[in-house]
Amino acid sequence: MSDPLLALDDVYKSYGEEQVLSGVSFEMDAGDVDVVIGPSGSGKSTMLRCVNRLTEIDSGDIYLDGDCVTDADTDVNELRKQVGMVFQDFNLFAHLTALGNVTLGLRKVRGMDKATAQEQGYEHLEQVGLSDQADSYPAELSGGQKQRVGIARALAMDPKLLLFDEPTSALDPELVGEVVDVMRDLAAEGITMLVVSHEMGFARSAASDIIFLDDGRIVEHGPPEQLFQNPQAARTGEFLSRLETAHEEE
Amino acid sequence: MGTQESTTAGRTLRARAAGLTDQPLTLLTVAGFWTWLVVRWTNDFLLDGALIDRNTSFFPTAPFEAAASTLGGLAASLGPVGFPVGWVAGFFEFLAASIPYLPQLATGVWATILLTVLGIALGFVIAVPLSVARVYGGTLTRSVALGYTELFRGTPLLAQLFVLYFATPLTTIIRELPAVGTGFIPAQAFWVAVIAFMLNSAAYQSEYIRSALNSVPEGQLTAARAIGLSKVDGIRHVVLPQGLRYAIPGWSNELVYLIKYSSLASFITVRELFERTDAIASETYRYTELFVLAGLLYLALVLSASLLMEYVEDRVAIPGLGTTSR
Ligand SMILES: Nc1ncnc2c1ncn2[C@@H]1O[C@H](COP(=O)(O)OP(=O)(O)OP(=O)(O)O)[C@@H](O)[C@H]1O
Ligand SMILES: [Mg+2]
Repeated sequence: MSDPLLALDDVYKSYGEEQVLSGVSFEMDAGDVDVVIGPSGSGKSTMLRCVNRLTEIDSGDIYLDGDCVTDADTDVNELRKQVGMVFQDFNLFAHLTALGNVTLGLRKVRGMDKATAQEQGYEHLEQVGLSDQADSYPAELSGGQKQRVGIARALAMDPKLLLFDEPTSALDPELVGEVVDVMRDLAAEGITMLVVSHEMGFARSAASDIIFLDDGRIVEHGPPEQLFQNPQAARTGEFLSRLETAHEEE
Repeated sequence: MGTQESTTAGRTLRARAAGLTDQPLTLLTVAGFWTWLVVRWTNDFLLDGALIDRNTSFFPTAPFEAAASTLGGLAASLGPVGFPVGWVAGFFEFLAASIPYLPQLATGVWATILLTVLGIALGFVIAVPLSVARVYGGTLTRSVALGYTELFRGTPLLAQLFVLYFATPLTTIIRELPAVGTGFIPAQAFWVAVIAFMLNSAAYQSEYIRSALNSVPEGQLTAARAIGLSKVDGIRHVVLPQGLRYAIPGWSNELVYLIKYSSLASFITVRELFERTDAIASETYRYTELFVLAGLLYLALVLSASLLMEYVEDRVAIPGLGTTSR
């Protein structure tokens, strides 16, 4: 049996008095797409940020491809080369063009020369359908285009794992589709993704597993059919039906 | 891609052209001023007075004197209603009287520019790490940077000049250096003033840059770190390029201030514009003419600086990054 690509083992995290993650454990294999859902403040973002150590955990272990990445002597910059992240509010580098955003890591982290980096950068922009916007600055792009550049930027580092923190929730509804389409393509290509999102269409069609996080605990974890049709915990059903109503109101 | 590039370039060019044609008078003044300065310095410093004697102005005084006396006569003959003509006559008198001093003042302008440019440039080199320490440093580096800033912003620049010049061995050390005070290289007092302006200006510049860094959204550094850049590299490649652009307007203010504050160097005998003006005035007793003239020269320097900074701002402008929406 090969190691899981990502494993969280009894992870705890608190901010002062507030316990945000209380013993979170799960595993995902290479090629899996796990979608994390849960109410606001349940610790979804915190959990993602612990994986690439933008946030330090209090106790427990996180393993990436068999290596414990929460060891004190882990080089966080090395870890982050292997784990890409896509943000809710894009966080594109505002002073760089789309191509500049994608190539900064290649040049300054991977140490590539400019020409090679640009060549690869174009390929990644192509992958998200934006090679014609290579020279546009973030302010000149629509929200959907920004997020696709954000995805290309993360992809460019050739990560083992991609983290998405609500990638579509800052977008106008009509722009959600283009980003979800790109994510679906990535899933089909076998890229391992851990996605915090309430985009249920994506979850249903692309997720290997859905993880329901509530109050810092995993309440339910299973394939989409099971969660949607036959939730094991009462809270899961409640939350899903609330999501549904919220969606209909939109 | 080609078209994209050319629209970006086109926009910048247009913005630049608009900025300059907005104020043709300023542009003309500044161009004339610099033509005169460059020709004057070339003649005086490089050509050893080949074009014209070092102490002789390029501009003749006779026509202005003639105009002044003609208009003066006219004003007198007009009686009580002649006073506007009298003012014009006075203006020509001023020109005739001050033109002979222009060559000496041009030498002072050279020292003033050198002092300001060195002070602001060296100060900038200190200000950047200082402001980064203020925003991103630990408790210790942050308080050291804060202490530095408070010390140099909280005490008079003149006091700093005096302390450095009289109370430290700096003057003696610099005097002993080879070549100081020979040929083009100014004497020790000038270098002490450069150091004082560097230290003082670093404190002010770091305040402008600090608040500019604070206006760069936190997510920018987070994103930089998320692709594997170290904190220092993230600051260098992501935060600073944005923050320094935000800092340009405030930083331009500091440049304008320093041009005028450089006159304080006259108190430690630096032969810059103010010192030259004062020295000639006390020899000739033409205080009014000389200080009005010096004032006009400072004004021309300040206008040049504003124009230059406007150009720089347009040059480095990026769509959507603060300073473009002017
Ligand atoms: N840096 C921080 N300092 C203090 N408290 C924090 C910090 N980050 C998060 N928290 C707290 O931790 C809790 C979980 O936050 P988190 O952002 O992980 O939730 P979330 O599930 O992503 O919520 P949302 O759906 O609103 O994004 C919240 O109560 C939040 O206030
Ligand atoms: Mg969140």
